Amino acid sequence: MNKLEIFKNGIGKENPIFAQQVGMCATLAITTSLLNGFGMGIAVIAVLTGSNIVISLLRKLIPDEVRIPAFVIIIAAFTTIIDLLMHAYTFPLYQALGVFIPLIVVNCIILARAESFAFKNGVVDSIIDGLGMGVGYTIAMVVLSSVREILGNGTIAGINILPEAYEPMMIMVQPPGSFIALGLLIGLVNYLSRRKKA
Amino acid sequence: MKNNFVRLAGVLFIISAISAGSLAWLNDFTKDRIEQNDLSASMSPEVIQAVAPGANTFVPFDDAALVESIKAENAKFVDLLTIVDGSGNAMGTVVQTLTPTPGYGGDMELYVGIDKDGKFTGMSVIAHSETSGLGTRTTEPDFWSQFVGKDASAEVASYDAISGVTKSSVSFVSAVNNAVSIYSQYLK
Amino acid sequence: MELISLFITSFIVNNIIFSQFLGICPFLGVSKKIDTAAGMGIAVIFVITLASIITFIIQKLILDNLGLGYLQTIVFILIIAALVQFVEMFLKKSAPGLYQALGIFLPLITTNCAVLGVAIINITKDYSFIESMVNSIGTSVGFLLAIVLFAGVRDKVDNADIPDSLKGSSISLIAAGLMSIAFLGFSGLKL
Repeated sequence: MNKLEIFKNGIGKENPIFAQQVGMCATLAITTSLLNGFGMGIAVIAVLTGSNIVISLLRKLIPDEVRIPAFVIIIAAFTTIIDLLMHAYTFPLYQALGVFIPLIVVNCIILARAESFAFKNGVVDSIIDGLGMGVGYTIAMVVLSSVREILGNGTIAGINILPEAYEPMMIMVQPPGSFIALGLLIGLVNYLSRRKKA
Repeated sequence: MKNNFVRLAGVLFIISAISAGSLAWLNDFTKDRIEQNDLSASMSPEVIQAVAPGANTFVPFDDAALVESIKAENAKFVDLLTIVDGSGNAMGTVVQTLTPTPGYGGDMELYVGIDKDGKFTGMSVIAHSETSGLGTRTTEPDFWSQFVGKDASAEVASYDAISGVTKSSVSFVSAVNNAVSIYSQYLK
Repeated sequence: MELISLFITSFIVNNIIFSQFLGICPFLGVSKKIDTAAGMGIAVIFVITLASIITFIIQKLILDNLGLGYLQTIVFILIIAALVQFVEMFLKKSAPGLYQALGIFLPLITTNCAVLGVAIINITKDYSFIESMVNSIGTSVGFLLAIVLFAGVRDKVDNADIPDSLKGSSISLIAAGLMSIAFLGFSGLKL
């Protein structure tokens, strides 16, 4: 696989949310507004790329038998780093994302990339894989949160874009809206990729 | 076998030690900013002006024993603060309280400002987990300004709830009424 | 009385799946049949309750006292991983019947964000030990309820005639959304 393919893989074919459907908790929970969705995406890119780098650097030193606990410690360390940095420098976002920042540690996508990619590939490829997967995750988060914010609140990134007469569909920013919006979006992605094949 | 075990444990130990060490350093580095953030979240100039227009700052209430005794009797009560103006004179009291009736996302935490004449000066939600764009509308002056100037020793019985956000509105008012009962019982 | 209301709140009103969105992965992954769903639910009750007890004690006795709050995430996830291992070994030896039933779900639970999520929420909400217990049990029983109900719905959905693009996780999520609307009704519950 060349570098570009590794990167595109995470955005399209193996998109963590639309194709693999992993790491769903935060996806469903915090996508009530575009800024939240984007912020979470950036946090995941940082943790994913960071842990991919360290794990691929250490892959010859970590014995096979204890690789999973080692991955978990490394990922937890990066998650805590992001947690502390966001608490210090992006406080409003930190408050909005709440418990879902420490929960990045159990986002299956990160452990899955460590196991299936970073532990078997070189540093450069692992960085690209981390960025690709992270960007794919962020795009999915941005799309979902934009849809929910526009329909549910009539705004995008807090700016009113729909005419006064539009009565926001409140359900979209409430819990049921996130299940339904994501379900329909996945259906749409399925539909588009089938049409492309046919 | 034994050797192998030592090797495995050793590797894990080294990874943990390095992780903990770098986190300790980062924690030290960000500690001040984090403390400041946590503090300013409840004490920013915007919050002070919303709760008590014209005030300079809030200071801890001078009768600490009273605060403790209210805490013992009122489970949702958090703290009392004194409102101070630019020249250090007391202007009134802030009741910091949780919501007896939880909102959509659990308890909200409010500052309720009451002046010396026993009238509401303003209020601010300092912590909540309500739905963005819905429940969060209770945190805006459009909603709570209807209470400003009202008598703080009379329970709020009727008010305009935000349509579609009844649960958060009810929760907000339950905190205001908790402040009313604390004010009438201990401060009047 | 307060404890009962805390239980009902964490069990139904703020249901872990339908309003807090924790533990979605096993919720979608292990809900194809009602009996496996029930097995997963019971395993989760077991692990969440145990994990909450241990993490609560560690947080209060060690992390708070030594000012090591920033190590919370690392310590909690390691405790949970170790705990799951222990439970698995213990069940294998002393209760082979139960191990047969729950064994395959246990490794999956380590990365179930519900376990870590509840442990962290117990600390951030400043619950006492008893409140933490009630919250953990209520939350995990809520998980069991949600996953069993959902498995029942999916059983029917799988046989339904729906557009090809919506098959699979897409229709499952929409079904979960409809169930979530039903649970929204509980939010009017006055306690």
